[in-house]
Amino acid sequence: MFFHITLERNMQLHPRHFGPHLREKLIAKLMKDVEGTCSGRHGFVVAITNVEDIGKGLIREGTGFVTFPVKYQCVAFRPFKGEILEAVVTMVNKMGFFAEAGPVQIFVSNHLIPDDMEFQSGDMPNYTTSDGSVKIQKDSEVRLKIIGTRVDATEIFCIGTIKDDFLGVINDPGAAS
Amino acid sequence: MGRGDEEEFDEEEDEEELEDEEEEDEGKVGRKRSRSRFIDDAAVEDEEEEEEEEEDDDEEDEDFGGDDRRGRRQKRRSGAEFFDLEAAVDSGDDEEEEEGEDDFINDAGAEIPDEDDGRRVHRPSIMMQEDQEDVEEMERQVYERYAKSSHVEYGEDATDVEQQALLPSVKDPKLWMVKCAIGRERETAICLMQKFIDRSDLQIRSVIALDHLKNYIYVEAEKEAHVKEACKGLRNIYSSAKVMLVPIKEMTDVLSVESKTVDLSRDTWVRMKIGIYKGDLAKVVDVDNVRQKVIVKLIPRIDLQAIANKLEGREVPKKKTFVPPPRFFNIDEAREMHIRVERRRDKDTGEYFEMVDGLMFKDGFLYKTVSIKSISSLNIQPTFDELEKFRKPGDDADGDLASLSTLFANRKKGHFMKGDAVIVVRGDLKNLMGWVEKVEDDTVHKTLAFNEKELCKYFKPGDHVKVVSGVQEGATGMVVKVEGHVLIILSDTTKEDIRVFADHVVESSEITTGLTRIGDYELHDLVLLDNMSFGVIIRVESEAFQVLKGVPDRPEVVLVKLREIKSKVERRTSAKDRSNNLVSVKDVVRVIEGPCKGKQGPVEHIHKGILFIYDRHHLEHAGFICAKAQSCVIIGGSHGNHDRNGLDHFDPRFGGVRSSSQFLQSPRRLPPRGPPIDFGGRHRGGRGHDSLVNKCIKIKSGPLKGYRGRVKEVTGSLVRVELDSQMKIVTVKREDIADTASIATPFRESRYGMGSETPMHPSRTPLHPMQTPMRDPGCKFASISTSEFWDGWEDGNPATWGVSPQYQPATPPARPYEAPTPGSGWANTPGGYTESATPRESSYGSAPSPYVPSTPGGQPMTPSSASYLPGTPGGQPMTPGNVGLDIMSPTIGEGEGNWFMPEILVNVQRPGEDSHVGVIREVLMDGSCKVSLESAANKEMVTAHPTELEVVRPRKSDKIKIMNGSLRGVTGKLIGIDGSDGIVKLDDTYEVKILDMVILAKLATQ
Repeated sequence: MFFHITLERNMQLHPRHFGPHLREKLIAKLMKDVEGTCSGRHGFVVAITNVEDIGKGLIREGTGFVTFPVKYQCVAFRPFKGEILEAVVTMVNKMGFFAEAGPVQIFVSNHLIPDDMEFQSGDMPNYTTSDGSVKIQKDSEVRLKIIGTRVDATEIFCIGTIKDDFLGVINDPGAAS
Repeated sequence: MGRGDEEEFDEEEDEEELEDEEEEDEGKVGRKRSRSRFIDDAAVEDEEEEEEEEEDDDEEDEDFGGDDRRGRRQKRRSGAEFFDLEAAVDSGDDEEEEEGEDDFINDAGAEIPDEDDGRRVHRPSIMMQEDQEDVEEMERQVYERYAKSSHVEYGEDATDVEQQALLPSVKDPKLWMVKCAIGRERETAICLMQKFIDRSDLQIRSVIALDHLKNYIYVEAEKEAHVKEACKGLRNIYSSAKVMLVPIKEMTDVLSVESKTVDLSRDTWVRMKIGIYKGDLAKVVDVDNVRQKVIVKLIPRIDLQAIANKLEGREVPKKKTFVPPPRFFNIDEAREMHIRVERRRDKDTGEYFEMVDGLMFKDGFLYKTVSIKSISSLNIQPTFDELEKFRKPGDDADGDLASLSTLFANRKKGHFMKGDAVIVVRGDLKNLMGWVEKVEDDTVHKTLAFNEKELCKYFKPGDHVKVVSGVQEGATGMVVKVEGHVLIILSDTTKEDIRVFADHVVESSEITTGLTRIGDYELHDLVLLDNMSFGVIIRVESEAFQVLKGVPDRPEVVLVKLREIKSKVERRTSAKDRSNNLVSVKDVVRVIEGPCKGKQGPVEHIHKGILFIYDRHHLEHAGFICAKAQSCVIIGGSHGNHDRNGLDHFDPRFGGVRSSSQFLQSPRRLPPRGPPIDFGGRHRGGRGHDSLVNKCIKIKSGPLKGYRGRVKEVTGSLVRVELDSQMKIVTVKREDIADTASIATPFRESRYGMGSETPMHPSRTPLHPMQTPMRDPGCKFASISTSEFWDGWEDGNPATWGVSPQYQPATPPARPYEAPTPGSGWANTPGGYTESATPRESSYGSAPSPYVPSTPGGQPMTPSSASYLPGTPGGQPMTPGNVGLDIMSPTIGEGEGNWFMPEILVNVQRPGEDSHVGVIREVLMDGSCKVSLESAANKEMVTAHPTELEVVRPRKSDKIKIMNGSLRGVTGKLIGIDGSDGIVKLDDTYEVKILDMVILAKLATQ
C-alpha cells in the first residue's frame, strides 16, 4: 500500500557545498540518501514529493560538516499481509518463483501455486498448467496475495500466493513472443 | 538380615513361652479381640523397630516381664506402624530382604496363609498378658487399641504431610553404600546376613542389594565403623573400598521402586536396542504383555544374497561387520535370486505375510517378534525422514496420528504458552481452533478446558515461526503451507523448504539461520577438506556440514563430518579476473562463462584461483556460486583494497589531522584516491572499530609477550594484532596488550617530517621498519575504481581527480618529490600505490602481472628512484630478486604469492587443459616463465603466464627453494610443517628456519 507521509531527517552537508545553491544541494543529497531506502515502520521510500522545512544548520566541530534537520514529504510503499499486488516474475525455480513489485521482492512457493501448475525445467523454467494454457515464467505479470512479510533493516521480503480466486497470470509478454 | 530380626525371634519365643501358659485362661478374651489383630501385629512390629534402637533396655525389660514393658510398647506404637506399612507398599521388590515386613503383607490380607498360623501363635500372647492386668487398665487398653485401629484405617490414606513425617531423619540409622564385586551383590548381602547370625556383635541393621544397581550394596548402620567392621573379611567386598554415606534425602530413593510404566501400545514408535537394527525406528504392531513380547514393524536390513547363499547351502565366509542398509523388501528381487517366498496367513490376525527364511514381511516391511526388553520406548523422537519412510501412500491420516501420539509423549514442559493458537485433535471438538488462555499443569484452558494431549499447535500460512525442537531446531522461516500437523516452512536463510511438525514450532519474529556453527567452523566459511579439496560451508546440520566444493564446472555439494574438515582457510588472497584485474574478497564480479554464466555478486572467498561468489538471487547452495577467477570479470571497483586502506590508514590519517595543521587540508585531497574517502564513516561503523584499532601496541603477557604490533581489529575482548616482527596477525586478549603511544608517536612525526611525501601512507614505507611489513603488496591498492569513489562521494570533486589514474603510469620516475598541487600530488601518489593493471599495461604494455618477481616491469623503480620507493611499496613485491632491494621486500603472503624462480616445480593449469607438473627453467622479463613439462616425454618447453602457474606446495622432507624474503633463492629441506609455517633446514648453513609455507616451493629433483 502507498502512503504519503511526512518524515524528518538530519542531513550532513559537506562545507564545500556551502554557497548560493546550498538548498538545492541539500535536497539533491536528501533524495539521493532517502529514496529507495527501507524502514520497517514505513516501508520503502519511493519518492520525495516536497521538502517542508529545513531547519537551522549546525556546524560540526572538527569536520566542518553542517547538520540540517530536514522535514520532507514522501511517498512510501509498504506491503501488508493480505494485500493484493501485481508483480513481475523475476525468477522461476523448482521451489517456486520470485516476483518483484517495485522494490519489494515476493516469493511464491510451489505450495502456493495452484496444484494443476507444474514446474517445467529447461532453458526457461516455468510453471505451466496441464493443458499449457497458462504459463508463469520470467517477466510474466502476476497478481498475487501477500500472506506473510518479513522486514529486515534493508529490505522487505514477502511470501505470496496465487492459489486463490482471481489470482495468477495477468499478462504474459513471454508467451506472446 | 537386619539384626532386628534375630532379636525378634528371641523375643517372640520368650513371649510365646509366657503366653502359652496363659492361653487357655485367655481364650474368650482372645476371641473377642480378634478384630484387633492388626494392631497387635503392628505392635509386635513396632517392637522390633524400636528394639533395634534400644536393644539393651529391652533385654532388661524382658527380665521384668509383662506390665512395664507392655505399657512402653503401647506408648511407642505412636504411629510407627505407618512407617512400616508404608515401606511395605513402597518398596515392592525389596520386601524379601526385610523379613519383618512380610507380616504386614499378610495382615493386609495377602497370600501365604501358612504364615498366618505362625502369627496367631503370638497374637494371643499379648492378650494373655493383658489378662493379668486390672480391669481399668484393660479398659484403657481396649479403648486405646480400638482407637488405634481406627487410626490405622485412616492411615491407609494418610495425607502427604503425615507421610512426610515418616521420612528418615538425622536420628535414624544411616544408609551406607559399599562397593562389592560386580554380580555378587546378592551374594554379598546373604553373606552379611549369615555373618550377622553367626556373630552377635555386628552393629549393622540391614543390608540391601538392589537388582538394578550393580557393583554396590547398601548397609544400614549408625556408624561407618560398624559398616567397615561388618564388611571386614568378606571376599566380595574389597577392603580398600570406600564406604559412602547416602544423603538423607536420597535414602528414600534407594528403596522406592521406579514405577515401570512402559506403556506400550500399538502404533507407538520405538527404537531397537540391540542387534543389527540397533537404533532403528520401529512401529509396534502388536503387544503380548504376558510373554513380554512385541511384534514390531521395521524397515528390513537384510542381505538377500546372504539368504540366497544360505538357502542353497553355499558356504560363504561371514563378514560380521557388515550391516546391510535398510531397504524395503522386494519379493520380485528375492525371487530373482531364487529365494523361495511363501505366502502365509497369520493365524491370529488373518493377514497375509510373505515368509522368507523364517522372516515375515508385509508391504516391504519386516515384522519381527522381539522381547520388550530389547526395545526402548522412552523419548523416541522420530525424525521426519524416518516417519516418511514408514508412511504408506493412503494412510497418512493414520500415520499422522501415530506420530502425533509419539510426539505428544515427548513434549517438554511448558509446551503450550498463553496466546498460542491451537487446534483440537481428539475428541468431540476435533478441529476446533482457539487460543490458549491459561495453562495449568496438564490442562490447557481456552475458555473450554482441554487436556494437553488433545491439542496441537496450529499455524497459518504466512506466519513467521521458529523451530524450537527436532532436527531443524533453531531455524526460522515463514509458513507456506500447512498439511495437517506438518508445516512447510520457507527458511529465511536458505530459502528452502523445511518440513516440521507444528508442535516443534513457535511463532517468532526473530530471524536466525538455525544452527550456524559447529566447533570452529561457521556457516559460509571456506574450509579445507580431507582430500585437499576445499569448499564453502553452505549449510550446517546437526552434526555435519554441507560444503559446496571448489569445483568450477559444476556445483558439487558434499556432506562432511566435522572431523573430515582439515582447517579453515582464512588467508586473504586475491586472484585475477579475465581481464587481469585483481579480484579480492568482497569485490563484485560477474561470471561470464561456465554454467553460472550471468550471475553476479560479491566474492566471498578466493582460493587457488577459484572464486566463491555470493549471489543473493541464487537460491541453491545458500546463494554461493563457485567459479574460476578467469571466467569472471570484476564489476565496479575493488572493495577489498578499499577496505584495507580504510582500515589501515584510518588512524594515522586522523592522527595527522589532529596533530598537525598542515595536514588539515588533507582530507580534501584524499577523496579522489578512493580509499580514504570514507573518512572512516563507513569503516568506523564496521565491526571491531574501536579507539584501539590501528594503535601500536605491545603485548604485555601471554605467549607473545614483548611483541609489538598494530591492532587490526577488536572483537569483544579479543584483539587481532599484526606483529611488527613476524609477518602475521595474531589474536590476543585485550587485557594482554598495552598501548605504546610513546613508540608510535615519534614515528609519526618523522613521517611528517618528510614533507610532501605521501604522508598518508606511513605504513607503506619500508623506511620505517616498525611499520608492519605485511602491509602488503600494492595489490591491495590495486584496482580502486574511480567509479567507486565517485559513487560514494557525490559530485563536486575537482575534475582533475577524475583523471588521476591516467597520470599514474607516467609519474613514477618523474616527480615524486615535489607535490605542490593537489593534482599532481595525487597523480604521483597513486601512481606509486596503484598497482592496478591498467596503468601498468599502458606504460609497459607487455607487463600483464606487476607482481611477478624480477620482472623488468618492476625495474622502473631503479635504484635511482630509491628515495621514491618508500612511498611505493607497491612496487616492492615485484623486485624481490634485485640486489639491494631485497631487504625492502617485506611482503609475503597476502598477495598473489607468485615469486617464481627457476628450478621450482609448478603446476601448469591452462584453460581447457589438464594441469601438468613442470619445472620453471627460466623466468622471462615479463613475468612469464619457461616451463619444461615433466609429463611430456621430450620435456617440452612451454611459456606460461604466471596466472597459469601454481607453485607445487612441498610436503614434509621435500627439497625446497625459498621464493621470498631475505633467504630468497636459498634451497633447503622441509623437515616439518606447523600450520602455515614450514620448518626448513637450509642446505648450505644447516640452519633450521621457520618460514611461511607460502614462500616455499618444491624444488625439482634433477
